[in-house]
Amino acid sequence: MYVQIKNLHYQYQNSSKPTIKDFSLNIDQGETVTILGESGSGKSTILRIIAGLETPKSGSISIDGKIVVDERHFVTPENRGIGMVFQDYALFPHMTVAKNIIYGLRKMNRKQKADRLDEMLELVNLTDFKYRYPYELSGGQQQRVALARALAPSPSLLVFDEPFSNLDANLQVKIRDDIYTILKKTGVTSIFVTHDQADARVLADRIVFIENGMINRVGPPEEVLGCASLLMWANSN
Amino acid sequence: MNSIRTTKSRPNMWALLSFLFITIILLPNLVIAVNFFAPANENWQHIKEYLLVDIVTNTGIILVFTAIATTLIGTSLAWIVTVYKFPLRNFFRWGLILPLAVPPFIGAYTYHGIVNYTGVIQSTLRNSFSIQVDQKYFDIMSIQGSIFIFTLFLYPYIYVITKSFFEQQSASIVENARLLGANSFEVFFRVILPIARAAIIGGVTIVMLEVINDYGVVKYYGVQTFITSIFQTWFAMGDIDSAFKIAGTLMVVVIFILILETIVRGRKRYSYSTTKVRPIQSKLLVGTKAWLMFAYCFAIFSLGLLIPLLQLIYWAVMTYDKILTAEFFTLIKNSFTAAATAALLTVAIALVIANYTRISRSIFSKVISKITVLGYSIPGAIIAVGIITIFIALDDILYSFFTSFNSDPIYVLRTSLVMLISAYVIRFLAVGYNSIEAGFEKVGNTFTEASRMLGVSQVKTFFGVDIPLVKGAVISGFILVFVDILKELPLTMLLQPFNFSTLATKAFRYANDEMVSEAASASLLIILISGICIFIFHKVLDKGE
Repeated sequence: MYVQIKNLHYQYQNSSKPTIKDFSLNIDQGETVTILGESGSGKSTILRIIAGLETPKSGSISIDGKIVVDERHFVTPENRGIGMVFQDYALFPHMTVAKNIIYGLRKMNRKQKADRLDEMLELVNLTDFKYRYPYELSGGQQQRVALARALAPSPSLLVFDEPFSNLDANLQVKIRDDIYTILKKTGVTSIFVTHDQADARVLADRIVFIENGMINRVGPPEEVLGCASLLMWANSN
Repeated sequence: MNSIRTTKSRPNMWALLSFLFITIILLPNLVIAVNFFAPANENWQHIKEYLLVDIVTNTGIILVFTAIATTLIGTSLAWIVTVYKFPLRNFFRWGLILPLAVPPFIGAYTYHGIVNYTGVIQSTLRNSFSIQVDQKYFDIMSIQGSIFIFTLFLYPYIYVITKSFFEQQSASIVENARLLGANSFEVFFRVILPIARAAIIGGVTIVMLEVINDYGVVKYYGVQTFITSIFQTWFAMGDIDSAFKIAGTLMVVVIFILILETIVRGRKRYSYSTTKVRPIQSKLLVGTKAWLMFAYCFAIFSLGLLIPLLQLIYWAVMTYDKILTAEFFTLIKNSFTAAATAALLTVAIALVIANYTRISRSIFSKVISKITVLGYSIPGAIIAVGIITIFIALDDILYSFFTSFNSDPIYVLRTSLVMLISAYVIRFLAVGYNSIEAGFEKVGNTFTEASRMLGVSQVKTFFGVDIPLVKGAVISGFILVFVDILKELPLTMLLQPFNFSTLATKAFRYANDEMVSEAASASLLIILISGICIFIFHKVLDKGE
């Protein structure tokens, strides 16, 4: 197994109930998994724990055979080699598109950086926008820069936190398809967190449906999305 | 939420640094607290018996009446400029903040110069109208006079805080009250004042702390208060133990005020955290009513800025050829170097602490944040007494260290600027911290998280992402601290090294030596610089948002 998550527990300091209860999941290399759930179900917290932005109460995570967190170890976010695309993209407003993308390429020399930058810009189809600042881009373009920035350091795992929620409805479908194509082109292992069943259906090899911090159902999209409780949830939304 | 940990074993550098800074801030207070409980000497018995009652009564009367007067003037002005349109209203909106640029001690001797026997009012009455007035009507050097001065130059604290509350929060409430048939008068007293309670209390607390901290006004007007007594016992009587006792008692008063603030404010905050701010629709006034509002605003503006400014300009023109010498430029240099150095240090320390309290959401970091903010409540004179004690102890250690190495033993610290600058940093850290913390809050944590997810360490993120993003807040923090230090009097009086004066201390010394017109140039420069900063903050930044 490429990513192994075992018995994750998590509780916020000022809360009486645990946010995540006994969460376990294995992910194959190159697989795309979508964590689907309502707001407040704990799905984003799982992503933040995997990324190293939160510390679990107990449980362990290993990526590619290396333990990143357990009872005794904690690898800091900057040393986990995980790429993350944030809900609001978090593009550095004081840097150009190019500067944003090469920001994570600390260990490369100038030539390598320039090559990688061009490669990434081509991948996300933004070659002409190199010297723009984030505020000069549309929402969809910002989204693609965020993806390019996360992919540039060749992360072992790429995670997305509600990546389409800030986009117009008509743009969502297009961007989603673009991202799907790019992901399949690079073959990177990825996890999406979303509350949107359509997103989950299009993107996922497998869907993890969570409720109240616990896994309700895991499986291929057609299997998970067919079940009754999910239909009810979808109707109530 | 848990913080982003570095590793399980390595101690967190940010926590350690923050802890270190906080300890330094707390140290002078601890010195006071410890010495407060030391056995009393005879002198203290005497002070307690004969002076303490006066001190407490004077301070109490000034506090209560200043609080009432500033609240009335501050909230009524804020209300008027928010809900009415009248001549020059847009100018008054920020112009009424400007009296804050006048340090109360400068206001004190300027007004004394205006109303005393040789001043412009009495000499005009005498020479042009042959009217001799009874001096008792013109006795400003009294408790009433102090209240008058404090009110004129401190009301803007309440004005600013309630104005922003009225402008942002009250639109729907006021409209509802009007629809329910309440007239303006009723709306103000029955609706607005109660809901603005938290904002007003916040402002009043700042005013009271400023009054307690003041040395210049009460010293010049000869009113015995806590701060003047600390100066007196320390310098005139050389009685350090009693100075500790008075400082300790004053600290109890400050803590009492802070507790009172928390109780009275209850669970109410300054603002709701809604982003949907709808500005209140202001009503166009015409005729007498409009001119009445104008007259009220203009009267306060004149008393708080125009009149003292004209008097100071008149004096400055009379004396500038005597004053503008090389010595004056040394004063400017001294003021600027001390203020800039201290402001730079303050902002740097505030950045480290704010970054720590933002990232770590532990209880420890919350305590650190609270203590940092509380630092501003402690009057300068108390910090000074604590700091001197610490530096003298450090000096003695250094002295014996020098002796043991057979080099020329000297007292290094107590004669250097280090002491004064440390005191500035301790006193004004809260000002810098508040500004930077607000900046961080606005920016949020995502950029930091994004940077770390891209493999960049916390320290590199701090310099590459965090600082550039809060640059504006850092600069405002620097300017606010700089101006506060420029106006500062009691700390500087107590801690300035021999042969070192600032614009503020020199101006005060001139005034105290009956050379009030000689004090004008330095006073004007201080007012000008503060005024420009206030203008930038409240006019330019207001428009930008």
